[in-house]
Amino acid sequence: MALPTGALPAHALAAAFRAPDDPILAAAYWTGIGALLLTLLLAAQIIRLRMALRRHERREARALARWRPVLNAAIVGETPDFLPRLPKSERLHFIKLWVHLQASLRGEAGLALNAVARRLGVDHDARAMLARGARTERLLATLLLGHLGDRASWDTLRTLAGSPDVTLSLSALWALVRIDPHAAAGYLTPLFVERDDWAMSHVAGILKEASAPVAGVLADLLPSLAPERLPRAMRIAEALRIDLPPALLEQALASADIGLVTGALRVVATPGLRDRVRGLLAHGDWQVRVLAAKALGRIGDASDVDRLAGLLGDREWWVRYRAAQALVDLPWLGRADLDALHASLSDRFAADILAQVIAETRSTEAP
Amino acid sequence: MNAHHHVVGFITWFVLCYFVLLNGGYLVLNMLSLRTLHRKGQEAMLDDLPRVYSGLEPPVSILVPAYNEEATIAASVRSMLQLTYSEYEVLVVNDGSKDGTLDVLKREFGLLPFPEAYRRQIKTKDIRQLYRSTRFPNLRVIDKENGGKADSLNAGINASRYPLVCGVDADSILQRDSLEKVTEPFLRDPTVVATGGTIRVANGCEVTGGFLTKVGLPRNIWALFQVVEYLRAFLFGRLGWSSVNGMLIVSGAFGVFRKDTVIQTGGYRPDTIGEDMELIVRMHRLLRAKRQPYKVEFVPDPVCWTEAPEDYKTLKNQRIRWQRGLAESLSANWGLMFSRNGGVPGWLAFPFMLLFEWLGPVVELGGYVFMVWASLAGEISWQAFSTFMFVAIGLGILLSASGLLLEEMSFHIYPRGKQLLALGAVVLLENVGYRQLNTVWRLIGLWRWATRKESTWGTMKRKGDWQAGSPGDS
Repeated sequence: MALPTGALPAHALAAAFRAPDDPILAAAYWTGIGALLLTLLLAAQIIRLRMALRRHERREARALARWRPVLNAAIVGETPDFLPRLPKSERLHFIKLWVHLQASLRGEAGLALNAVARRLGVDHDARAMLARGARTERLLATLLLGHLGDRASWDTLRTLAGSPDVTLSLSALWALVRIDPHAAAGYLTPLFVERDDWAMSHVAGILKEASAPVAGVLADLLPSLAPERLPRAMRIAEALRIDLPPALLEQALASADIGLVTGALRVVATPGLRDRVRGLLAHGDWQVRVLAAKALGRIGDASDVDRLAGLLGDREWWVRYRAAQALVDLPWLGRADLDALHASLSDRFAADILAQVIAETRSTEAP
Repeated sequence: MNAHHHVVGFITWFVLCYFVLLNGGYLVLNMLSLRTLHRKGQEAMLDDLPRVYSGLEPPVSILVPAYNEEATIAASVRSMLQLTYSEYEVLVVNDGSKDGTLDVLKREFGLLPFPEAYRRQIKTKDIRQLYRSTRFPNLRVIDKENGGKADSLNAGINASRYPLVCGVDADSILQRDSLEKVTEPFLRDPTVVATGGTIRVANGCEVTGGFLTKVGLPRNIWALFQVVEYLRAFLFGRLGWSSVNGMLIVSGAFGVFRKDTVIQTGGYRPDTIGEDMELIVRMHRLLRAKRQPYKVEFVPDPVCWTEAPEDYKTLKNQRIRWQRGLAESLSANWGLMFSRNGGVPGWLAFPFMLLFEWLGPVVELGGYVFMVWASLAGEISWQAFSTFMFVAIGLGILLSASGLLLEEMSFHIYPRGKQLLALGAVVLLENVGYRQLNTVWRLIGLWRWATRKESTWGTMKRKGDWQAGSPGDS
């Protein structure tokens, strides 16, 4: 283990370039050599990547220069009689441009783009990509086939929709909804209720295009759903503004399950459930009280002013805030009524929160 | 004499092994990052498509603590008000600034005092006044007694309306889609409690109207060194740990948190400099102890741009503060290390931080000093010395180069060949002198922590000249 000593600096340079005899020093030396070689390899790879990127950008620029005018012409209803051939090297760039344009358009312009894609045979390519392509290609193909409303790819898309890959499965689901909202609603709604890994905002975004058929499926589905799945189903109903049967909501409001009660409170809109909601204003869970205050703001009557005013002194800030908002939103309470109510409050917290909400409302009103 | 040789030999091997282990550890993180970035790259083209909001995205409160930020605050707030996100509010917390920060805010955004029922969920210094913008309904300003950055963030949390809170440094410029990107993990996974975004160096870039309009490299050498440092720190330092749920730092410059978890953890600690890291380490410790499933994720997309120090003194002070912050965060949370439910944070990330980031400067600098002394005194051969320097610098260069490779594989923010060449030169240069200098600063940071010198905001000298194009400046 003892190290060789005493070498003079004059010999250091020569020694530095020779592999040491000591085994541990040799190991360190070769580690350094390995690092040096790896660094050179990385440098070569960086240069290769940069060159590949440049080539890719040039190809993309060429593809865009060729296809953007064609697609722009199609958008304004001037599709040329003869389309240039779409080389394989430009296919992905074309699909990307096409999908981007489609996502920004509605109506006839979209149909014209579909016609161009079909004439170029991109739908065939996309089906092949969907079945065998790399992940990027599959993602692009789902978007293209969705916009095309391609029924031929229905089964493949359904298989992809069951994939554990969240991004890919959600893209496939979106395509299914685009292709046939009614058929997709029947198939997808139970899936959406089941799969917690699909973010609710994504689910709602996808289902927006099929809210009518989803409402029907959801109504049929709700009575048979397990209680633990009901809150998610209610969130979907809320996102899509679907009215749920009052009997079901009443049952949910009476439940001991907090998730179920809050789910129902979010969507309740019928005055018939007013008494149930009033009963929840004193609930032990503050989130229930918050939502009950909000719900009473929607469905309450004149007698609820005192109840909501009582909540202004709640120990939880959010309950006070929502109660104040509910009060201010009541159509039969004018400015003078609100000011009088504020003046009558002896609780400082209640007065502060009502003052804040009144000020918020007045700051957004036109002068 | 024999024992003496043994001691010298042991120290030599210890230092060598330490350097190899340190860099080896980072290389492993690098590999983990490669995998994540590859997958991210496959989805990148979806990011280009127009986004449809469902209205169910969780609303976000952006908290902007500001202390003497009159040069940059207007442009930063303006950039935040133009973010593409369905629902968010901006809360600027003026922490008793001694300059004209509050006046700039009042003038630029038409602030008026507002009777807000301030909620005191976390204890903070006294609030002087709450303001609301007459031009932007989602902008509020809290004017409070000076209490430091952590105290300001806590005040922002108290006043925030939304379930997610996002801390942003007042000198930062956010990309328009940054909120969408950094909140994406919260949509995907309900167990996510915090996410952090990538921070890039804004020096050399052009900003107009609060937006970054042209990416460029700084001419200043100190800032240029930091460009490569940031690539390394974010693209594999954080992304690597994030992929195994072991990330112990979410940068205070841009991070999003689930508010209820922050409050449950007790908020930011005002008596520490590294309040951002300390909060994350504390979150890990508490959530692990409660066996609550959770995730802390890193979002690699470049989302936030910040001005890096361009002079020796400011940079030195910043690094001293960072090291003190690290030491405070780790020492306040020993309980996480090797704890029964510690998982990756307790059994891997914490010991790694302790060994290589906290103790790193002592061993690194001690190693250099020892090697120089030992070779001059004839205790070890020049060959051993040169081998040590060769390994230490070679592995450092390899790591920096791998950061550059990750950047080239994923975002290639710097498009021109000249920029790539300049970064390549910095990769080589920063390992000869700058890195060692950094180690000295970190050692000073450790010393200041050990001697318990008072912690403060730490004034950053800002030029703000990259924001010259902002309308507010005219």
